[in-house]
Amino acid sequence: MDMIVGVGDMKVSDKADTVLATYSLGSCLGVCLYDPSVRVGGLLHYMLPESSIDEAKARQMPFMFGDTGIPLLFKETYRLGAAKSRLRVIVVGGAEILDQKGFFNIGKRNYMVLRKLFWKNNVMIDFEDVGGNVNRTLKLEVATGAAWLKTSGDGLRRIA
Amino acid sequence: MTLKRILEDVDLLEPMAPSAHRVLQIAGDPKSAVTDLVEVIQYDQAITANLLRICNSAGVGLCREIHSVKQAAAYLGMEKVACLVMLGHSSANLRKAQEGYDLLEGELWRHSVASALISQDLAEKRVPKMVPLLFTAALLKDIGKVVLSRYVKDLFQEIIAEVREGRLSFVEAEKKILGIDHAELGGRIVERWRFNETLADLIRNHHTPDKASPQDVSLPIVYLGDCICMMLGIGLGSDGLAYRYYAQAADRLHFTEADWQRSMIGLREKLATVEALVGLAKEERIHGV
Repeated sequence: MDMIVGVGDMKVSDKADTVLATYSLGSCLGVCLYDPSVRVGGLLHYMLPESSIDEAKARQMPFMFGDTGIPLLFKETYRLGAAKSRLRVIVVGGAEILDQKGFFNIGKRNYMVLRKLFWKNNVMIDFEDVGGNVNRTLKLEVATGAAWLKTSGDGLRRIA
Repeated sequence: MTLKRILEDVDLLEPMAPSAHRVLQIAGDPKSAVTDLVEVIQYDQAITANLLRICNSAGVGLCREIHSVKQAAAYLGMEKVACLVMLGHSSANLRKAQEGYDLLEGELWRHSVASALISQDLAEKRVPKMVPLLFTAALLKDIGKVVLSRYVKDLFQEIIAEVREGRLSFVEAEKKILGIDHAELGGRIVERWRFNETLADLIRNHHTPDKASPQDVSLPIVYLGDCICMMLGIGLGSDGLAYRYYAQAADRLHFTEADWQRSMIGLREKLATVEALVGLAKEERIHGV
């Protein structure tokens, strides 16, 4: 069963028949966690780096923002039995429009907030495909931990 | 040769109803009254049926049922009714799959509706009288893709090589390989449909807002609406985000980083509306004529 993660959303699962999928990440970032021992997966699709832009919204929809969504993604996978030491981490997205560089480059900022949080909490990334001018789709098979990435202009490829 | 064939293919599009121009004209004329708009719409049964279907959909979210054009105009106002009429007119062409751009059925339509809703928001705050025009420009800006799709499909590897290796934007690569890009073609299509030159120019230049005349905010509005949609990944295809960014468009609107982020949040909140309108086109087959 496909469990679709929309923009500003997050889903976790320990059901063997589940495929977690998020479509068309532009400047948003997709963060995928998987613990192979307990076969627990989680997928977050956040759109903005920091919740300080709208704290009321962040209380209502914490998965819209990196600083509120990422900690919750980890907590939810732990709730299903995952352990931090076993987690495999995939990060994709954070694209930018051509020549956008410093101008409102939300994609880059989304990635920076993640790096900062991961560094502080000693989390290593196993696979990342970030930046550029492409949109990306990410899928994770909960039963096996197999993951696929589709980048605009290319087909689907296995990344884990 | 290819260019000639591409231009001939414009005739394969579903035609735009003649009253669509009139609706846009009336809505943009400060001297016109709501009754003028009602007059044009109510005698066209197909447009009226489409308008009432959209008005009563979850996408518009009114608390009571609308039974007539007059009632719709009273509840929603002239500008909004004109936007909804244009929405009904545009789905027949835009909802189809566009294989060349790797867009499934409904995806281009989703991008078009979302862009139109953001442009509407930006216009309401700055140039309220131009709302129907800018909504329509954002809605129809990618109409050129509908014609160009099969040519892009045939020559995709050459186009994408120009983007990846030649560092061209997708429109620049289309122009280089096919002799015309989807923005220019879109401008020509709406001209052929006899819409005014302002709409044609907005569509033609929607990836090149540097062509806006000084003080013009309309092209930057359509351009930023498109950028915000691209960044949120709504209805993106094989062209991805390979379009140039022009900082002066945001400057022209005094658009700050916070405005940018708030617009993204605003669009995220409108996604249910977008999906309701996209679903409406799929299930009910809204036809322009």
